[in-house]
Amino acid sequence: MGLLSDPSISTHNKLVDSLAKHMRKLCYVFYTAGVAWFMCLALPEFNHGTYLSENALSPGLVYPEIRIDANRLALQLLEELQRERKDHQSTTPHAWIMAKFNEFGLETYTHNFTLRYPFGGGKEFHGKNVYGILRAPRIGSTEGLVFSAPYRPPNSVHDEITASVPVLLAFADFARRKNYWAKDLVFLVTEQEQLGMQAWLEAYHDGYKNYHSSSAYLVAGSLPARAGSLQAALNIEVQDLEVDYVDVKVEGLNGKLPNLDMFNLVQRIMAREGVTSGYKHAPRKRRRMNLSPYEQNLRQMLSMLATQATGVPNGNHGLFHRYRIDALTLSAAKRVTNSNVKSNPSSATVPLLKSIEGISRSLNNLLERFHQSFFFYVIVHNDRYISIGDYMPALVALIACSFVKAYLSWSTLDAAERHAQQDAAGNETDPVVFSMKLSLPYGFVLVYLVVTLVIGYMGNVLPLQKYLMELSIGAGPLTLTMLIALNVAGIALPFYVVLPPGGLELLHICMLLIYGCALIVIGLLNFSLGFLVAALSVPMVVALNPSSRNGALRGLARLWALLLNPMVVIYTVVLVLTFYEFPELTFQQLLLRAVAAVMDAVTFALIDSVIYGNWLYFAACTVFFPLWIICWTLALAKQSDNEISHAKLKIN
Amino acid sequence: MIAELALTLLLLLSPLALGQTQIPQFQYQTDEQFHEELVVRPLAGDHVNTYFQFTTRWHYGVHKNLYHTQLTPRVIAEILQTYDVKELHIGLTQGLWRYETWGYPIVEATGGAELWAWFSSPNLTDDSVNKQWMRLANVFSGILCASLNFVDNTNSIAPKHIFRPQFMESGNRSHQFVRYATLPREIVCTENLTPWKKLLPCGSASGLATLLNSGYIHNTKYHSLGVKVRTLCDSDDPSNCLVELTQTANLVYDLKLLEQSNTDFSLRRLFGMGLNGYCEMASSSKIYVQLNEQGERFQLTPTPQEEVLSTVGGHNVLFGVYDIQQQFEEPGARLFNIAWLGPKGNSKREHTSPPPLYAHRYLLGNGQKHGRIATEVTNTHYEPLPVVLMELVPWYVHAYLHTLRISSKPQHLHEYTSNELKFSLLHYAPGKQRELPTHLEIGFMLPARSSALITIEVDYLLLKWLEYPPDANHGHYIGSAVIGSQLPIGRNYTALPLEGYLFQDSFNASQPAYALTLRTEALIVSLPTPDFSMPYNVICLACTVVALAFGPIHSVATKLIIVERQTTIPRNLLRKVVHKLTSRFSRRSTNTVLNEQQNNEQNGKGKEKENEQEEKQLDQTQSCDKQAHM
Repeated sequence: MGLLSDPSISTHNKLVDSLAKHMRKLCYVFYTAGVAWFMCLALPEFNHGTYLSENALSPGLVYPEIRIDANRLALQLLEELQRERKDHQSTTPHAWIMAKFNEFGLETYTHNFTLRYPFGGGKEFHGKNVYGILRAPRIGSTEGLVFSAPYRPPNSVHDEITASVPVLLAFADFARRKNYWAKDLVFLVTEQEQLGMQAWLEAYHDGYKNYHSSSAYLVAGSLPARAGSLQAALNIEVQDLEVDYVDVKVEGLNGKLPNLDMFNLVQRIMAREGVTSGYKHAPRKRRRMNLSPYEQNLRQMLSMLATQATGVPNGNHGLFHRYRIDALTLSAAKRVTNSNVKSNPSSATVPLLKSIEGISRSLNNLLERFHQSFFFYVIVHNDRYISIGDYMPALVALIACSFVKAYLSWSTLDAAERHAQQDAAGNETDPVVFSMKLSLPYGFVLVYLVVTLVIGYMGNVLPLQKYLMELSIGAGPLTLTMLIALNVAGIALPFYVVLPPGGLELLHICMLLIYGCALIVIGLLNFSLGFLVAALSVPMVVALNPSSRNGALRGLARLWALLLNPMVVIYTVVLVLTFYEFPELTFQQLLLRAVAAVMDAVTFALIDSVIYGNWLYFAACTVFFPLWIICWTLALAKQSDNEISHAKLKIN
Repeated sequence: MIAELALTLLLLLSPLALGQTQIPQFQYQTDEQFHEELVVRPLAGDHVNTYFQFTTRWHYGVHKNLYHTQLTPRVIAEILQTYDVKELHIGLTQGLWRYETWGYPIVEATGGAELWAWFSSPNLTDDSVNKQWMRLANVFSGILCASLNFVDNTNSIAPKHIFRPQFMESGNRSHQFVRYATLPREIVCTENLTPWKKLLPCGSASGLATLLNSGYIHNTKYHSLGVKVRTLCDSDDPSNCLVELTQTANLVYDLKLLEQSNTDFSLRRLFGMGLNGYCEMASSSKIYVQLNEQGERFQLTPTPQEEVLSTVGGHNVLFGVYDIQQQFEEPGARLFNIAWLGPKGNSKREHTSPPPLYAHRYLLGNGQKHGRIATEVTNTHYEPLPVVLMELVPWYVHAYLHTLRISSKPQHLHEYTSNELKFSLLHYAPGKQRELPTHLEIGFMLPARSSALITIEVDYLLLKWLEYPPDANHGHYIGSAVIGSQLPIGRNYTALPLEGYLFQDSFNASQPAYALTLRTEALIVSLPTPDFSMPYNVICLACTVVALAFGPIHSVATKLIIVERQTTIPRNLLRKVVHKLTSRFSRRSTNTVLNEQQNNEQNGKGKEKENEQEEKQLDQTQSCDKQAHM
């Protein structure tokens, strides 16, 4: 027996005893320190200026060669495309795009994919991507770069970005006539938003799957030609050829980000070509708000956290990250006509084209895959960032509460017991200590944990069962009903299952440990999600104390636990968003509309998880919800707790 | 069964016939010839293929004659003296030949450096061949300024089925050894071109070689330098030998990348200058220009001196021939230039039909742990074709034979069906970490108008930290696969017949089957790579510190710490002294007892045992005390 397992150390340690006495204070100190540290990160003293780590990029080393004729071509192509769009109200003019690729001398291919919509009752949707490959003269097709543009048909509900394809084509025509390419260039026009991109990438990296035997929802199909190992990708969304500003989107699937070097590269080149650009760039009017730099930075940070936490990519670039291809989206916004800046339509796109050329030439220079700079960072300002080493302490401080509390509860478990015994049996000089730890109901608690986990996991499985899908209710109501049913089961569980003596304490310790580990892991994978969840739930976890006798505090903890129920949280978030989106609605309408929106949100999250591999839904069902059930059990601890002490008294 | 038979027959067929047809022509004298040729073929999609071939053929007779070289470079003669090499092929290539649009090249080469050689001698062993092979590669590393010195046993294999000796008598197979290696990472540039040109009799001073200016030929989409050495000795008369050195330069120009972007081109635009004459050493100096197919679009000035129609396997190709020696016959001739004038206006891009057989290769899977190598072979012909595929997988990638699958699909379908092709031929030599590459050869019949997808799963190895190249994150290369087949038709087929040595030997060279080898793309794999930067070093250092600190921390954490409470020692000072004295006395007495025992061994072992038991009891009581005090 050594330090780790010596019982004589933990029970009679004065330090532990005194810490245990101030446990709650200690936890709140940790919590405050974590949040304060995070707030401080927005201060310029706590974050760093960006720099280019990869020397091979050398942005702006070459003079841009793309000229006004490319702009003229883009204009002409846009006019042609507008004519084509009249005939293709809900489809992509594949033939026109292919004809253009062919005319420019690219190898042109199409890619078909099929979506078996999980809730469609066997319905299938078909899509078709078009791509052209420019074979680089300096390489044997071992490496490639992707330039992609999503195409949206006229009846799409999203913003119109018709000009992306002409810009892409104009650049392709320019690039075809250059002989310095050392990586194959793939020009890809996708349809069906992210679905097309996901299918293309899956087909590229996972190859063919047998259509009939595969049970996947997205049948990615096969690609007739490839361009080696893809090194980087640039997605272009252009609203109009007259560009006001460029918003650089980086957040990818599950909160993954491209290498910071790539973002810096884009910023440098854009600045050089005189294009206003930035991360979360907003139109000029909003930018004129008189905010202090600190406040602006904090807003930027929080908005990045909000986008990242959902795990949903905010552009087609986000799907590349899973395959270790660094990618981002240039989203060029349309210039408002009443702007006082007069622009010449015949040269309006030249700066944008020049910057695309500059970025592509820098990427072309890359000898190695992006590896130098950061993959985990938070952008504070366009030229300032926080690295993982700086922001992790904030999360660690928050989560430390649960570990400290778990340790102290564990080590004072015997002490409390001994006091009780001494009270009961008077001052007997019995040296043999009755260790409570040996008699704890480990098996029962384990079973209880497994039951909660199973209830949570059902949320992943049940809505996708065939026999349930055959019921004649829509996807949204079905999923929502399932989740509410599971929720009810979770809420009811502690009323039906009474833990044996000591079970509550053990459950509490287990919950604290699982909670801490889960949040650390989630925080490493997706910092934003981990941090936001920790910031919301740590106070509740700290306040929970199944053995306390303070009624008011217990009531508060119960209320808090109820408020933090995943469904309630989702509803609240959606409600707030709806309120901002539709301020004209009455309160009752608002509540109803939010219910519908929750239904959609839940369904989309489920679809995201089965098609794109977004694990937010999975984590919410399998990690957060079981944890919540345990919290709820602990918050309701009153009856069972009394029983325990009664039982104890009887034994004694 | 039938497929297997046909395949082996076809494979064996080609080299057999050669020896007999060639030998009677030999005479007992040394004669040496040099020929220079240039072939220009417009290809689909605004590409132009130019192929230079310089052939030196020396009928040297007896071995002794190799000491006196004239046109043949001395290095080649010396190699033949020193090593038992009979046939040698070297290719230095940049880019990838696109079979689907360009058809087949005249000589095949894979990206980077490729080297294979046949050795033959009565008393050769595998080990001695390995040694000779490495030395040979080193010699050519010096001659061509290429990294061929990296060829060794870890990246060389002995192909079993796919390569056949072209020129060697196929008598005793047990004395013939072949070695093959590729260096896909090799980058080919001027430094290889200059020494390559120095092997020519006229160097780059005159003749067609003056056109090979590095500034122009390295701006092409594909360029490949080749060196081929073949020797042949009469099997009855060893003093009747000949050596043939063929140097080839195969280039593909992209007309869109030339400065003025219309479809016209000329020798001057392609090579930067016109032709200033012919090599005086050359027996013949000719330019062949393809006139039909893609060449039909162009008008030539000056018009060719003669036209040759070649019918190969029912496929007609029309060549215009310029004899440069005639061209420069009269004194005062100026620079010679040929111009191809394209059609005015927008030429319609006609759809080219792909060649009968082509292949692609790619890597599937994500992550740095494992993946799948997929090779796709497509047969557009209306008959089944025999296909042999050779894979050389480097040692840092583990291939698993049990995952080898050949699935097929009809050409018009997008998805592969679940039916698998059976292979009629399989040779597999598993790799060994840091010693041997995995060598896989499979043969199968590819049904008509269908594709086959050959996949094999691989694991990536975590290398030792010194085994990573300086640019570790670039990835490691897997060389291209080699695919061999026998085509029944001559469409798109332009390679020289095996017994021929001039380009004109390929005219009207109809054969029952046309041996074809294809090369696929090379692959880049990202092996698991540590972050070679400051944090990496810090981690290494921290791990060392942890390793050093582990021992003490472990012992503190696990070992029992006993504080000996000396309760037997009385508190009183006087008694303490008495106790000390008694304890010392008792200890001394036991010592003396022991000494006595050692001195008087004849006392028997019984006593010793008793003593030992006593001591044990003493120890036990002491330990009991300790436990009680705890």
